[in-house]
Amino acid sequence: MKSRGQPDCLYAAVHAAEFPAQAILRLRPDLRSHPCVVLAGSPPEERVCALNLHARKRGVVHGMTRLEVDELGNIHILTCFAETEATARNVFLETLLQFSPRIEETFATNASAFVLDITGTERLFGPPHEIALRIRSALSTVGFRASICICTNYDTARIKAEFSSGISVIPYEKESEALAPVPISALHLELEHYETFALWGIGTLGELAALPEEELIPRFGQPSRAWLALSRGYAEHTFQPMEARFELKEHIEFETHIEQLDSLLFVCSNMINNLVARASSRALSLASIRIDMSLEGSAQYKQVIHPAIPSNDRKFLLKLMQLEIAAHPPQAAVDSLTLTAEAGQHCKVQLDLFALPMPEPSRLDVTLARLKAIAGADRVGSPVLLDSHRPGNFQIREFSINDQLFTDAKTLNRTCLRRVRPPHTLRMQLNTGKPAAFRDGSAPFCVSVAYGPWQSSGCWWAVDRWDLEEWDVMATNDSGESIACLVVHDHLNGKWLLDAFYD
Amino acid sequence: MPSSASLRKQIESAFEHRYPSVLTPSAKAVREVASTGISQIDDLLNGGLPVGAITELTGPASSGKTSIAIAALSRRIQEGGVCAWVDANDAFDPESAAANGISLNQLLWVRCSGTQTANQPDKFRTSNFRQTQPWPRLDQALRATDLILQSGGFASVVLDLADESIEHGRRIPLATWFRYRQAADRTRCSLIVLGKAPYAQSSAAVVLECEQAALDSANHNVIRRFIYKVHRHRERFTSITSIDRKPPASIWSAHAMWNTEKRA
Repeated sequence: MKSRGQPDCLYAAVHAAEFPAQAILRLRPDLRSHPCVVLAGSPPEERVCALNLHARKRGVVHGMTRLEVDELGNIHILTCFAETEATARNVFLETLLQFSPRIEETFATNASAFVLDITGTERLFGPPHEIALRIRSALSTVGFRASICICTNYDTARIKAEFSSGISVIPYEKESEALAPVPISALHLELEHYETFALWGIGTLGELAALPEEELIPRFGQPSRAWLALSRGYAEHTFQPMEARFELKEHIEFETHIEQLDSLLFVCSNMINNLVARASSRALSLASIRIDMSLEGSAQYKQVIHPAIPSNDRKFLLKLMQLEIAAHPPQAAVDSLTLTAEAGQHCKVQLDLFALPMPEPSRLDVTLARLKAIAGADRVGSPVLLDSHRPGNFQIREFSINDQLFTDAKTLNRTCLRRVRPPHTLRMQLNTGKPAAFRDGSAPFCVSVAYGPWQSSGCWWAVDRWDLEEWDVMATNDSGESIACLVVHDHLNGKWLLDAFYD
Repeated sequence: MPSSASLRKQIESAFEHRYPSVLTPSAKAVREVASTGISQIDDLLNGGLPVGAITELTGPASSGKTSIAIAALSRRIQEGGVCAWVDANDAFDPESAAANGISLNQLLWVRCSGTQTANQPDKFRTSNFRQTQPWPRLDQALRATDLILQSGGFASVVLDLADESIEHGRRIPLATWFRYRQAADRTRCSLIVLGKAPYAQSSAAVVLECEQAALDSANHNVIRRFIYKVHRHRERFTSITSIDRKPPASIWSAHAMWNTEKRA
């Protein structure tokens, strides 16, 4: 046995077993207390690739077919989706990045495993056991269960985390003892070597570590030196930290088509919670959320939610999402759902005691979404006048209180128009070229005063050209009611129109 | 013989556990008002439209009620507030508003329309995603006003029912107006209701009836200004003596939007 000096490094290995099952169940908390299995492969060759503890207690093992699982009865069968797993892995990695920027991914069958270089983090997070508890707690908030091992040796931490559950902290120079009960399969040897060790009666790393190096190397060659180093807990490893990309994305694929908004929102709620938790961990807020759904029949659905200010309010974001989906409902049942958020800085609002109260931005967002659901998305907002001579030419833009321009314009006290949309067609009687009487539907009006005409035309080269003749008319009906209105003669259609009232 | 002051004290102390200060008149709070920008109407209303209350502007077409509402909104927006116009008949004219000094980006315009099919907002489908439910125009306007008032932060909200028939307007439940009054009071918002007749009844703080008085023209070929008359029918927060002293009606004029000399 080699004697070593006290190393400077400290590693935390995190191993989430049965990762395909965890990737799905973290977004389906209702299923966590039930036996669930995940099947992989194409029918009818589907086999169990991951399962939870409840399913294991019911006797399910890896490799079972769907038929065998069905025979056990009352077990939820889920389908394995690569994108769901990839998204979950990103979330898992992102959670670990809270504890160290130096992370290396390790190979693990049917699991997601990372080793963190936590050297020097004791002053931030406390002693090793405290760090392990914090990591486990952080993973738990995003829906993962993982075994954690902290050790000064990289490979010892990795192997111990894979073959144990819960939290293990291995003291310096106790690596060999900690690894002793681990099966020899942890070394990922070739099959013939396993057979040889089986013949020798070697089944654990402790038994392998007890073999003399001088006797082992002539029989297995140089690789056996590395095996011994691994089993004795002093293997050397060059740490290769990965470059993690920060992406706020959640994805879930449904086993059955979703047709109800309530069901969809139930899943959305967990996804938003996760997005908010991840953004909050970096002192960020959600500035926008993109909703992507794949619908039955390979159609796609895309909508984007833009809160007025970046927000971490889960209920508010969920309400916005509910109103957005209600205003633009998908045209078919939903197969999968992806939420991708853009992070933004927390909003800082300077309040003023002497200013008039303004609508609260987040509350205004919900109000606007509700108003759009009532009146229509294109019928709620601020009017913007267009640079055109066409009468009544404007467009509606999104109402926002962030970019208010306070003008020092004065109240001019001018008479206002009330537009008739669309303009009523009138039956007009003329007298020497001037309006003399007209009928608006069945109501007859006698014109007492008519000022005009004022010609207006434009866009003669385009389809939407106009050529109008405007008259300001005072008219009285049979009951003596007097109106002042703007009457228009449309030369293109040869019609007289009631365009607006002066009011 | 005990003095009246000691008697009052005895009676008040006797009833104190049930009615505090039973014989002492409660102090009158000075109601906040917002100027309309039209001096004649401000004089008629002791300073302007009440804040946190409902004001009704009634009258037939071409009676000037829209001009008063836009002038009031213009004033509130110039003070830095944000306003909303709930348009039951899609009659609002942005050009007129801009001509009256309204900064349009501070105005939320809700255009209700009977032809628009809106989605049911709160509940979703029971069977699939495609079901929709149409909302009548008036119902849309009432729901939108309710939402805006409840959300708070708007200095003034106009509920434009000027083109609705009187029969429809009177079918609006009183509970709706009570709710509006409470919400307006809580959020310090002036709710201005335009209609052919008063609908809010006891919930309205002020009711003004508008009518057209005359038309002033230049050279008999261009409208120079409209002259309107305003009658005060109800003013809830003003003492009786004050109302008696003030004239019941006022005349004001609104100039045409165009340059009269140039147009003539």
